[in-house]
Amino acid sequence: MKRLCGQRIALRDGRGRPSLHWYLFLLLAVVLFPTASHAYAGPGAGFAVLSSFWAIFVAFLYSFYALMTWPIRQLFRFLRRRNAYGKATFERAVILGFDGMDPDLADRFMEEGRLPNLAKLREKGTFSKLRTTFPAISPVAWSTFMTGVNPGKHNIYDFLARDTSNYLPFLSSAEIKGPKRHIKIGKYSIPFGKTEIKAMRKGTPFWHWLGNAGIFSSVIRVPVTFPPEKFQGVLLSGMCVPDLKGSQGTFCLCTTRASSDKFREGGVRVPIERKNGVCRSYIPGPDSPLAEKAGTELRVNFEIRPELGSKQARFVVGSEKFTLKVGEYSEWIPAEFKAGMGFTAHGICRFYLKELSPEVEVYVTPVNIDPGHPDLPISHPVTYSIYLAKLFGPYATLGLAEDTWALNEHVLDDDAFLAQAYGNHEDRERMLFDALEKTKQGLCTCVFDTTDRVQHMFWRYLEEDHPAARDVPHSQHPPVIQDLYERMDGLIGRVMEKIDDDTLLMVISDHGFKSFARCMNVNAWLHQNGYLALKDGKTESGDWFEDVDWSRTRAYTMGLNGLYLNIKGREKQGIVDPGETEALKDELQKKLNGLVDPASGAIGVTGVFITDAFYRGPYTENAPDLLVGYGAGYRASWDSVMGKVTGQVFEDNTKAWSGDHCIDPRLVPGVLFSSHKFIEDKPAIVDVAPTILKLFGLALPAHFDGKAWTLAAKAH
Amino acid sequence: MAIDGHAVVIATFNLFLLTSPLAIVVIVSLVVGLLMVVLFGYTSDQKAIGIAKDQLKAHLLAVRLYRDQIPVVMGSYGKILRGTGRYLKLAFKPLLYVIIPITLLMVQIDRYLGQNPLPVNAPFLLTVHLAAASAGQTTASDVLNDVALDLPPEISMTAPPVHIPAENEIVWRLAGSKEGEYEVKIAAAGQSAEKAVCVGSDLPRISTVRLRGQFWQRMFSSAESALPENSPIESISINYPDRNIEIAGYGMNWIWLFFILSMVAGFIFKELLGIQI
Repeated sequence: MKRLCGQRIALRDGRGRPSLHWYLFLLLAVVLFPTASHAYAGPGAGFAVLSSFWAIFVAFLYSFYALMTWPIRQLFRFLRRRNAYGKATFERAVILGFDGMDPDLADRFMEEGRLPNLAKLREKGTFSKLRTTFPAISPVAWSTFMTGVNPGKHNIYDFLARDTSNYLPFLSSAEIKGPKRHIKIGKYSIPFGKTEIKAMRKGTPFWHWLGNAGIFSSVIRVPVTFPPEKFQGVLLSGMCVPDLKGSQGTFCLCTTRASSDKFREGGVRVPIERKNGVCRSYIPGPDSPLAEKAGTELRVNFEIRPELGSKQARFVVGSEKFTLKVGEYSEWIPAEFKAGMGFTAHGICRFYLKELSPEVEVYVTPVNIDPGHPDLPISHPVTYSIYLAKLFGPYATLGLAEDTWALNEHVLDDDAFLAQAYGNHEDRERMLFDALEKTKQGLCTCVFDTTDRVQHMFWRYLEEDHPAARDVPHSQHPPVIQDLYERMDGLIGRVMEKIDDDTLLMVISDHGFKSFARCMNVNAWLHQNGYLALKDGKTESGDWFEDVDWSRTRAYTMGLNGLYLNIKGREKQGIVDPGETEALKDELQKKLNGLVDPASGAIGVTGVFITDAFYRGPYTENAPDLLVGYGAGYRASWDSVMGKVTGQVFEDNTKAWSGDHCIDPRLVPGVLFSSHKFIEDKPAIVDVAPTILKLFGLALPAHFDGKAWTLAAKAH
Repeated sequence: MAIDGHAVVIATFNLFLLTSPLAIVVIVSLVVGLLMVVLFGYTSDQKAIGIAKDQLKAHLLAVRLYRDQIPVVMGSYGKILRGTGRYLKLAFKPLLYVIIPITLLMVQIDRYLGQNPLPVNAPFLLTVHLAAASAGQTTASDVLNDVALDLPPEISMTAPPVHIPAENEIVWRLAGSKEGEYEVKIAAAGQSAEKAVCVGSDLPRISTVRLRGQFWQRMFSSAESALPENSPIESISINYPDRNIEIAGYGMNWIWLFFILSMVAGFIFKELLGIQI
């Protein structure tokens, strides 16, 4: 041993530690002189070897199974579906949905030479306006896109629907209910059974018809696909997926600044406690499923250790430790909300260090459902969201993932918002290209929200005198929207490199965009014109019709475009006799249509539509009675959307949310680009589903409202 | 002051009332499981290992998700193989750090748990292997005839020695009459060498062989000092019976039990400590 020790000393490195050579030498010895006991080198290496072996073994089993059963499955499918692609015009259809891409802007930027790839599509295939739905709201339009029917058949008329028993809103797309049964043990109330998620969107997405015919589909982030439905393919849900709190996105501003102000909506303020140089705060989470009392919030505590010299701070969130500079986002950080007794809600969120001195402020994104450990199903199959999370890392799952509220409330600045939006966008691009690689035959469709969110928030810089950008000289307006369209064009170019002539590429949007410079409170107009009454002594109402006297109210509005009559027998406190409704609708239509904004002389309302005329189907009873179509530059006011009556009908919109599309649908058509030419004068979004089915050689369901377009010719 | 390592080990075992081999293996496995996981955690690129594992899982899921599309399945299978290679590469560096201490530790534990001592009155074989014939000795038989065995009173010869000239070996059949640790002396070519013999039922440190030279083999299989370089004897070995640890009526070598238990312990500790393996 003395000799050995002497050798060991010789093999130390400069700092007296055993060198790598020493370890290699010993390792060589172990390999050259093996005994039974050396076969095992501890749990670390054991796990490594076993895991690798296990991965290969499982892969082999899967592959073997897939290979062996493939002919049988193919035969079975052939017998059942008689060659799914036999009558297909294309092997594959790729539909890129750019939410809110505006045809006028696209045309303008193409003319300016900014969009070479879209210009190529225009020259080679189709470029046209795409008629949108009434109303021109994303959940409505995308529901029509996927089902090929009007809203009367898919039941989505807005983000929100109203409860006729109490005039309160609820989310129109899905209803989530906790388990019905609970057992009380001590301080805990333990839920039994599953959380029930009810899809409110009706109708059958066209990829279900494709699946029935044996055609595979990859569907990524198409709005109103939550809860995900079973079909032959993979799907990641998009708009309307809630955050972990069950809301459509609640950000959190952790701050040492004392403030009793509440955010109008979309966010909460949480105090940071500073002690001995360490700041402590928490992320508010969902209600505890075990608490006896409803509203007992779960929290994840975290610590911030400012390092003022370097303008950065060390964060400790559970077992995660990371450092952020001021103005920097973290990666997605897991947030586990533990309720006790093994109940844990798994979320992810990102931290943004706003300020370190003199005050400390940290913005935390809404807590997204963890896609690698989803507590609610956000994909079909459930493993698809996990697959994407494992392949690319955690990603935003919230339906409205770009935090527009935080920018509206000045919690985020322009740059921070764009960094967040484009971060999410890049994740979705990766998903799209993976789907393109995996879906060589069939349908591949992906919707990008970035176009919608960025236009909503940055339209103010596109105009010379938008009320929301009057403090910035026009010459200093950043070209955010131009950049956006160029980015999208770049994406299209990269997609075009991945496809051949046997693939149909369609680029569509659900609606276009216009300025939102002036707000109109229709409830205020109804109040001033005697259709809506407040309780005695009140001149304004609270949110959601607080202080509205329903016994004297004949009409009201909530949401973005819908106007409802307070009908006897339908609304709980209805007063309008069903026999009088038609006359009242006509009266309102006449009075509101062409309403002029006295401040500008412009027309605030360019069309009021009685919905009976164009909604057909089993769910028309849930539709608004009228739709208010605002003129360009106008939209429902923030208060009006939330069922609030104010003193003024028209006012400036000074929020960052400065562009919109929830106006007269005739003013905001979407776009249609395609790699192959279609012969169609006035294509509409409702036509996409029948067109795709036709191109794959399938018969069109009789209930479809859209019509299939005719393909001009195919190169080969 | 010289420290008797064997006495320290035995005292440690006694301190924890570990007189049962099973208890020793359980405790050692738990401790080793913990230490090795911690060591792996400190010496590995945890983030890269996490990503490599996630990618492997993703490709496995892809095989399932796209099972009707054979090109995707085959492509995923290739990615799994590549991913496995990447993962093993990442595990190699910590493996280097882990394998040395664990190997040395296991060699030492094997001295205690690998074999049973010789039972009282049970015959056993003592084999002496000699170097090839030297210049003054013309045949292998001459060499073997020159070897003598000197036994302590508690150990007796139960049969005459067997000479195997082709192997340069002599084999004696012996038996111990009383528990204890003894030394037998073998004289050859004017030199003598000793070999420890353990008789009894305790947990002694057992050396199955004493060797001349052969550093690495001695390190891994002998618990005795080397025979002198000029000794005509190359090795002296005793066929101690293997020790089996009984669990639910099934006997197994301690190494298998250690393998299973340390893996389980490692799995538990890696979860508790949040270490990626």
